[in-house]
Amino acid sequence: MRINAVLHYLGLIITIIGVTMILPLLWSFFHKEAEAVSAFTISMAVSIAVGLILWRFIKIKEKNISRREAITLVAVGWICISLCGALPYTLCGALPNFLDAFFESVSGFTTTGATVFTDIDGQYQGLLIWRSLTQWLGGMGIIMLFVALLPLLGIGAARLAEAEWTGGQQEERLTSRMRDTAKILWLIYLSMTALEFILLKIAGLSNFDSIVVTLSTIPSGGFAAYNLSIAAYNSLLVEGIVLFFMVATGVNFGLYYFLLWRRQPGKLFKNPEFRFYLLLLFGAALLINLDLIINMGMSISEAVRYGSFQTAAIMTTTGFCTADFNTWPPLSKAILLFLMVTGASAGSTSGALKVVRILVLAKYAYRQIKNAFNPSAVIPLKLGGNIVPEGIVNKTVGISIIYFSVAVTGFLIMSGLGLDTVTALSATVSAMGNVGPGLGLVGPLENYAAIPALGKGVLIFCMIAGRLEFFTILMLFLPAFWKWK
Amino acid sequence: MYIIIAGGGIIGSHIASLLVQEGYEVTVLEQSETALKKLQGQLDIKTIRGNAATPKTLKEAEIERADLVLAVTNSDETNMITCFMAKEMGVATTAARIRNIEYSGYFVAPAKSPTSPRKIVRPKSLGIDVFINPEVEAAREIMEILAGFYSTPVDNFANGLVQIREFKIESEPLAGTRLGALTLPKQSMIVTAVHQGEITAPDKDFILNEGDSLHIAVSAENMDELGKIFIQSKRPAKRVVILGGSSVGVLTASGLQKRGIKVKIIEQDPVRCQELASQLEKVDILQGDGTDRAFLLEQGVSSADAFVATSENEEINILSALLAKTLGVQRVMVVVNKPGYIPLAEAIGIDIAAVPTILAANKIIRFVLRGGVISASLIEGQQLEAIEFVTSAQALIANKNIAEAGFPREATVVAIVHNETIFIPPEDKIIKPGDHVVIVTPPESVQTIEKLFK
Repeated sequence: MRINAVLHYLGLIITIIGVTMILPLLWSFFHKEAEAVSAFTISMAVSIAVGLILWRFIKIKEKNISRREAITLVAVGWICISLCGALPYTLCGALPNFLDAFFESVSGFTTTGATVFTDIDGQYQGLLIWRSLTQWLGGMGIIMLFVALLPLLGIGAARLAEAEWTGGQQEERLTSRMRDTAKILWLIYLSMTALEFILLKIAGLSNFDSIVVTLSTIPSGGFAAYNLSIAAYNSLLVEGIVLFFMVATGVNFGLYYFLLWRRQPGKLFKNPEFRFYLLLLFGAALLINLDLIINMGMSISEAVRYGSFQTAAIMTTTGFCTADFNTWPPLSKAILLFLMVTGASAGSTSGALKVVRILVLAKYAYRQIKNAFNPSAVIPLKLGGNIVPEGIVNKTVGISIIYFSVAVTGFLIMSGLGLDTVTALSATVSAMGNVGPGLGLVGPLENYAAIPALGKGVLIFCMIAGRLEFFTILMLFLPAFWKWK
Repeated sequence: MYIIIAGGGIIGSHIASLLVQEGYEVTVLEQSETALKKLQGQLDIKTIRGNAATPKTLKEAEIERADLVLAVTNSDETNMITCFMAKEMGVATTAARIRNIEYSGYFVAPAKSPTSPRKIVRPKSLGIDVFINPEVEAAREIMEILAGFYSTPVDNFANGLVQIREFKIESEPLAGTRLGALTLPKQSMIVTAVHQGEITAPDKDFILNEGDSLHIAVSAENMDELGKIFIQSKRPAKRVVILGGSSVGVLTASGLQKRGIKVKIIEQDPVRCQELASQLEKVDILQGDGTDRAFLLEQGVSSADAFVATSENEEINILSALLAKTLGVQRVMVVVNKPGYIPLAEAIGIDIAAVPTILAANKIIRFVLRGGVISASLIEGQQLEAIEFVTSAQALIANKNIAEAGFPREATVVAIVHNETIFIPPEDKIIKPGDHVVIVTPPESVQTIEKLFK
């Protein structure tokens, strides 16, 4: 492995992040937030300087990069952009403790939306915009942006994108070249962002609120502009718009390509994952609505309004809140916790395991049971009439095992730090699925400030590992990966 | 332009990598999971698993918007059916790899009266526009080399007026001289210098090493003069030993034998030997191991003029060629399929007679992509491409001189042919409508240059 190749491209990625800080910087400048302006100026200067030095002074001969280099670049890149992203929080004094700032930054880029701010209302607007912008950059993937922007030749682009894209399978490629695929995905992403922004403006939100909410919805992030999250607007229309876009971004973006570019609506409506996603979403929402009406005595209209929004917000791993589901009956909380594990579709901006994996796991389990009484039966695993290759079945089972192992480890450590069972479990699962709020002490109206330092460290790991779907990060911990350079 | 390639083997992946480099949108269809995995690990392209000769796979590859289908699986029948279906589904151009020589016999089969050949199966009715038979091309190339003085094949441009040929630096006194010190004949130009498989711009201070080679463009009449500088002339072969009864071997043997050259074929498999013996009556078929030194000596290999290793096992080809070389055979050549073996063979001083994969790619770019009007060929694997353009009156570059024509910097104009008058190098000539222009460029810039000539 060529360390200099990794550093060379790392420089470019850090530079891109530095350049994006211009947006919050301008916002703070025009709204006369002097401290935030200086914080962003310094952070931007540092990021761009470090980035350019790495990029300009570390030369590489062969432009293409190997699989190993790609994985290292993606993993190290995510950690480095999070470090750069943490600078503004510390420098402007909002989060003096750097660990807190790093937590907030990781939570942003991984689109988790878990905050350590105890009071969001009093923060600089520029800082809140940066917080949401980090989510927006991380949602479609900073590496994906890198692949789309730069003419990196050949297979290197595919290797990079594969290491970052969630639920990615070679077979799902939209176009021949990975760079074109990346461009299309970013175009869909940008259009959805623009559309939501316009609709929110029409619904009467200010520029600032529309920007923050949009940049948090589309990447299924969840950072809001107020302590009360979306509930602060107390507007059915705003909730409706946000709900629609949360559900829409939980769909595989590739299917939109087939719908809009290729005019093949069948690809979307006959897609087994899309169907299962909607089924699960409506099923869970129905159960929660009923639970709220029967066990909590909510009126039907209230139950539908809050229950449905919260179901979608958790399942798509956005994590916005319109109600304090901490006070909801046990069944509703249990369903929400389950949805934190499933997440939405592969190839969407949502996190967690993804429903297609749940589908494959269920069919796999069914096959194992069938094979238990008839070992000679050959049962291919089918999704929507197509056989799922055994390699992908294996990978799905593997990633699920890793998912639950990490969850159990995180749960044990968090419990060891003295957190109660519900808080420890929900915080870990929520961080791994990039959801945001959990239950108990980290519930929708609470924050992560009270979690001990080690606990924050564990959650930071869970967030990054969850966003990159484990393999990319965990490979770095294998001694064998580093040997035989 | 959207191109579908059926078959992701050596030929398919080689062509795919070339087309991707040139900037085309490519999808490869392949049935074997292992071949697919390998392909995905090497190229940034879309792949689809499935039998290319089924409508389902073709539809999945969005055949309706494909401009070109190349069927290059190792099954002739699959290739034919794929092309047939592609044409039925509205694809403009198709090309198929047809290996079995008997098929080409059937295509134009002799009818009852020998004077009126009647076509049993017409390629057009099968929907195939261009045939690719890498083996036949390879055999043709080997015969051409053996009949001449040179150890490398030639590429012809402008109806043969301009030629590009690779010359090897074999020994002193050429090795060690500066490129600037060479006195080349008139109407010639060094296109590129190759050192250990890497191409470099031929500047004056480049020192030639043993094993390096130069690609030189020259007018056809000055070729022999140029040849004298580089080659201790080799007489045309009269006695040839061919290793391996593969289709390339058989085609070469029968072709050489018709030209009155004495041919021996060495083949290990006794059953195959029987087949060969009944097929090629005037050729000596010898059953034995081509890597056995004593056997080669016994069969008189040391007194042969040329040894051509064409067996399907490339490792054995290279080994036995090396053995023949140590036995004193003057011209030793191998057929190599994996492009990765080319530098290996060159490093130990064995000439590459033919690389069927590259020949197939050559044929495709020449006849399929560029419409067959003009010539095109690949240099050093696929690092450079030499292409001939005919300047149309409306072309952007018409009536401009080369400097202001706006060619990409990495492209070199090698020759201009104006009414049969050849200009090599063209210096700052003005390009007139109707001129043939030969340009050498990395494949990435081909599309840019094509636009200049439209």
